[in-house]
Amino acid sequence: MRGRPNLYTDYQKESSIFSNKTQKSWFGLLISLAIGLCFLATDYWLLLITTSCLIAIASWGLNIVSGLAGQINLAHGVFIGVGTYASAVIGGVATSSVIGYNLDMIFWLPVAGLASAVVGLIIAPITVKLKGLNLALVTLALVFIGSHLFSNFKSMTGGAGLGRKVATLKLFGIDLENGLQVGSYYLQREQILYLFSLLICVLAGLGVKNLVRSRAGRAYSAIRDGDIAAEALGINLFRYKASAFALSSFYGGISGALFFTVSGGVEPGSFNLVYSITFVAIVVIGGAGTVLGPLFGAFFYTLFPAVIQLFLHTFDIGEQSLPLNLGQLERLLFGLVIILFLMFEPRGLWGIWFRLRNYFKAWPFSY
Amino acid sequence: MIIFLQATVEGLSLAAIYSLVAIGFVLIYKAMEVLSFAQPALAVVGAGIISFLSVERGIPFWIALVLGVIFTGVLGLIIERTFLRPMVGEPVFSVAVLTIGIDLLLRTLLDSWIGINPKYMGDPFPSYGNFGAVNVGGVNIKYLEVAAFFTAVVLILLLTIFFRKSKYGIAMRATSYDQEAAMAQGINVGRIFGLVWLIAGILAAFAGFFITGGFNTLSQFSFISALRALPAVVIGGLDSIPGAVVGSIIIGLTQGYVAYYQLTFEAFIGFSFGSGFSIVAPYLIMFVILIFKPDGLFGTEEVERV
Repeated sequence: MRGRPNLYTDYQKESSIFSNKTQKSWFGLLISLAIGLCFLATDYWLLLITTSCLIAIASWGLNIVSGLAGQINLAHGVFIGVGTYASAVIGGVATSSVIGYNLDMIFWLPVAGLASAVVGLIIAPITVKLKGLNLALVTLALVFIGSHLFSNFKSMTGGAGLGRKVATLKLFGIDLENGLQVGSYYLQREQILYLFSLLICVLAGLGVKNLVRSRAGRAYSAIRDGDIAAEALGINLFRYKASAFALSSFYGGISGALFFTVSGGVEPGSFNLVYSITFVAIVVIGGAGTVLGPLFGAFFYTLFPAVIQLFLHTFDIGEQSLPLNLGQLERLLFGLVIILFLMFEPRGLWGIWFRLRNYFKAWPFSY
Repeated sequence: MIIFLQATVEGLSLAAIYSLVAIGFVLIYKAMEVLSFAQPALAVVGAGIISFLSVERGIPFWIALVLGVIFTGVLGLIIERTFLRPMVGEPVFSVAVLTIGIDLLLRTLLDSWIGINPKYMGDPFPSYGNFGAVNVGGVNIKYLEVAAFFTAVVLILLLTIFFRKSKYGIAMRATSYDQEAAMAQGINVGRIFGLVWLIAGILAAFAGFFITGGFNTLSQFSFISALRALPAVVIGGLDSIPGAVVGSIIIGLTQGYVAYYQLTFEAFIGFSFGSGFSIVAPYLIMFVILIFKPDGLFGTEEVERV
């Protein structure tokens, strides 16, 4: 069978996570590169890639429910918020205004995911009944209800405009806030966060890849392509729609807890409508329903502003000479990118990548 | 009693404003099966144009108002022609996200123009006009609220006549009933789509003016008020114009009563809903209605085929 990478003799092999040696070696190379980057890149770029990895986790979550299971969710930001605040309460430091138990990361990280998943399950009876635009509208309502609750549960969230500090970085009793001494090498906080995010990101990605080929993944696709037909095939709609929401929220919660640990503090106003829509946009730009799409989308979303800044800096264009300020310019271009992708490349960045890959696979032939 | 009347007056004026945006939503949905999240952005852009013309350029208010309304309508037409026409036949979700993109685009441009200081709308009657109010038996009624109410009533009447009597109105109804059959009868469906967006833009601009008029002013957050027409549409049913009006009245009155009675009620039950609850209340109602009647109060029930 050697030298014929596209020949599969059994289903198990075809549906394995890495179907051939090339994929496995590319994956290994990418991981080693990413780990190597930890010691080469400047703090600025390290932070950007850390953020990208964490946003990718949340986007994968949204992709499970919207891309795979086809249930539109405009309230992903709220689930992220629930996870963030759960972790902040469990792992944060108590002050005069907010509660916090200052526990280890080994507790607050799973709790963040589980708290979001539970909220996803609680609203499941409502979300499972609806579909299409009605579901989109209910989740839109959730965004407003969620932000209202976040701003008013002051003992947990610190209240609107004030916010609170999030969970402290402490793993197995070792305080990592000020870095870590490994032998003779000193790991900075940024590097630790980067490596940890990378690890979680890789695990989350493999999780999604695994989900797609599992029984649940096939059920999700069936529901997306036609839920009545799926029900007729014996798929339990309630169970799978609810589990898609729960799983998606779990990813969101984990991502939120880590994301705001990187930045250090969180304010209830962060989880507004625009925040939730950002993730929808990331999934659409990356390519909905694909495994790699959300990763591409997340990196695009985070690195896009950095590239704009780099561009302005390289050509020495001052911010004052622009008609818009930098944040507005980013939002404007982001809106344009969403529109252009939907109109001209509905499969998103993944579609571009797919065509490129197939071009080189068949090279020098054009088919 | 006076408080009750005061809340009712304010609620009804809000209802009038929401119904303008809501009818725009419904028209677009009926014609194209598209839920346009760009509608609130069109409303605030309309307000922005009016403010720019009347305050910054010093054009007489009435001319500025008419120009602003027409420009916003044309803007809706342009949006439909450039962005939405190529998307005909695409999944509902993609088009909805596309309108979110348009919303982002419009509001970013508007925000950069607004800057930090809120913008005023100008005043048609400098002596008492937008900023004034009349006191009827203890109830404080702003002229702006009266104007909003009557404008909405007049516009809805005009629209009703348009749909019943005019050639294009009937063509629009035919299109929303069955696109292919309408095309077979020689109706230019593309032109109808454009017309729908023109009307939706005009209605949005009026709503935008009343949302931001007087002391309310146009700020970067004005669009949230316009977005509240969305629960109104959902409550009434996405494809029903009377439903949109009823939904708007429910939402407007709720907002009015909550704003005035929340504290009394909270003291009565001993539990606080938190500040800014009047903004969330419409969404809670929408949430509850969608659970029990997923197609809204007046919407047609969806028949599904495998």
